[in-house]
Amino acid sequence: MHQARRQLTIAAVALLLGVLVVVQLRGQQEANALTGLSAQDLTVLVGNLDAHNEQLRKEVAALEAQEADINAAQSRGDTSVDGIRRDLARVRAWAGLDPVMGEGVTITVSGPIGGPGVEELLNELLTAGAEAVAVEDVRVVPGSVVAGPPGGLSIEDSPINDPFEIRAIGSREGLTGSLTRIGGIVAQLSATYPSAVVTVTPVDALVLPATTRSLQPAYGTPRL
Amino acid sequence: MLARHLRATPSWQVTLGVALLALGFLIAAQLASEGPRIRYTTQERSPLVETVNGLQAQQQALKDRILVLRTQIQQAEQRGQGSAAVVRQINDDLQRARMAGGLVPLQGPGVVFQLEDSLKPASPGQNEDDYRVSARDIRTVVEELWLAGADAISLNGERLTVSTAILDIGPSVLVNSAFLGQPYQISAIGPRDLYERVSASQGFADFLRARSETYGIQVSFFKPEPVDVPAFAGTVTLRFARPAASPAASPAASPAAAP
Repeated sequence: MHQARRQLTIAAVALLLGVLVVVQLRGQQEANALTGLSAQDLTVLVGNLDAHNEQLRKEVAALEAQEADINAAQSRGDTSVDGIRRDLARVRAWAGLDPVMGEGVTITVSGPIGGPGVEELLNELLTAGAEAVAVEDVRVVPGSVVAGPPGGLSIEDSPINDPFEIRAIGSREGLTGSLTRIGGIVAQLSATYPSAVVTVTPVDALVLPATTRSLQPAYGTPRL
Repeated sequence: MLARHLRATPSWQVTLGVALLALGFLIAAQLASEGPRIRYTTQERSPLVETVNGLQAQQQALKDRILVLRTQIQQAEQRGQGSAAVVRQINDDLQRARMAGGLVPLQGPGVVFQLEDSLKPASPGQNEDDYRVSARDIRTVVEELWLAGADAISLNGERLTVSTAILDIGPSVLVNSAFLGQPYQISAIGPRDLYERVSASQGFADFLRARSETYGIQVSFFKPEPVDVPAFAGTVTLRFARPAASPAASPAASPAAAP
C-alpha cells in the first residue's frame, strides 16, 4: 500500500517533469522563430496564412462532397466511376501529367540570364498563384530545374534558346501585378542581370503541354 | 552521524528529491523565458503574434483533415471497385497519379541535408542576412538534389510539389504556406549514392564555397534508413487551369501537341 503510493508520487512527478520539458523546448523554438519577425513580416504572414487557410477550407469542402458522392453512389449500388474519373482528371491536370488550358501570362526573356535567375522567376510565379508553368515546351514539374550559366541554359537536358518564353496559367491580373510590381522579381532580375530583358504579357488563353517525364518514384515506395 | 542519516534515507526519497530539484529548475526556466518574450513583443506585435498562432493551428487542423479525407476517399473508391476491370484500371491510374503528384507518403534510400544559420558574427559593415539561411540557399540544395536524380523531397515535413514555392519571411521561410524555422532539414529519396552525386556536382561545390566557407552557413547531412517523405496536405484544385484535350491520352508519354 505504502509502496504503491510512493510509486504513484514518483510517477506523477515524472509526468509533470516530462510535460514541462516539452513545453519549455517548444516554447523556446516558437519564440525564436516568431520574435525574429518584424510587424511588417507578421502582417505578410497573417495575409498569407489567411488566404491559404481559405484554400484549404475549400479543399476540405470539396473532399467532403466527393466522399459523400462516392458513399451515395455505393449505397445505390453504383461503382461511382464518374466520380473517380473526375478525381483522376483533377489530380493529373494539377500534377502536370495532362495538358491544361486557361488564362495567364507569357514571359519573354532575352539576353544573358543564369539558371538561378530563371529559377527565382519560376518560384515567384508559384508564389503569385500560377497553377501550371512551362519553360518553352517543357512543363515545369517537381524535378525540372533550369540550370546553367548565361548563354548555356537548359531544362531537363534540352537547351534553352535566347530569347525564350515562360508561360504560366493563373489570374492574368494577379500574375502580371505580382511580377511587375515595384521591387518585384522583374526589377530584381534587371538589377542582377542588367543586360537581360524580361517582358510580361497577359494572355487570354494558353495551352500548356503535359510533362514528358515519368513522375513515378523510381526509388521511393509508398509508406503505409 | 550525517553518514548514518544518509544511509537511513530511503532511495525513493532521493529519486523524488532529484526529480523535484529538476522540476524547480524547469519551472524557473519557464518563467524566466516568459519574461523576455513578452518584453520583445511590443504592443503592436502581440495581437499579430496571437493571430499567427491561431492561423497556424487552423492550418494544421485543416491539413490533418485533408489527409484523413483523402485516405477515406481512396478506401471508399477501392471498396467500390467490384469486379469491373475498367474501374480497377481507373483506380490504379488514380493511385499512380497521386504518387506522381506527391499525395502519397514515400520512404526509401536517400539523404537528409541540414542547413543552419552561421555562428560567426557579421563583420562590421556587412549584411547580417548573409549569415542566415535564406530561401535561395534551400532552393539551391533542392535543385542540386533534383539534378542528382532525387524522386521526392520534403522540407521540415512539407512535401515539395508542382505548386510549391519557397520564400523568405524575415529570418524564416514559408513553404506551402507553412511557416518554417531552422534547422532546415531537406529530406530526399533517390538513388543510394544521392549524397555522393550531389557532393560531386559543381553547383553544390559553388554553394558551399559561397555560403559555407564565406559566411559560415552550417551544412550537414545524414542518411537515415529509410528516408521518410510525407504526403502533400494542400489543395490540388485548379481555379484557372482546366484539362485541355490531348491528342494522345496516354500518360506522360507524348510530347503533347497543343490543339
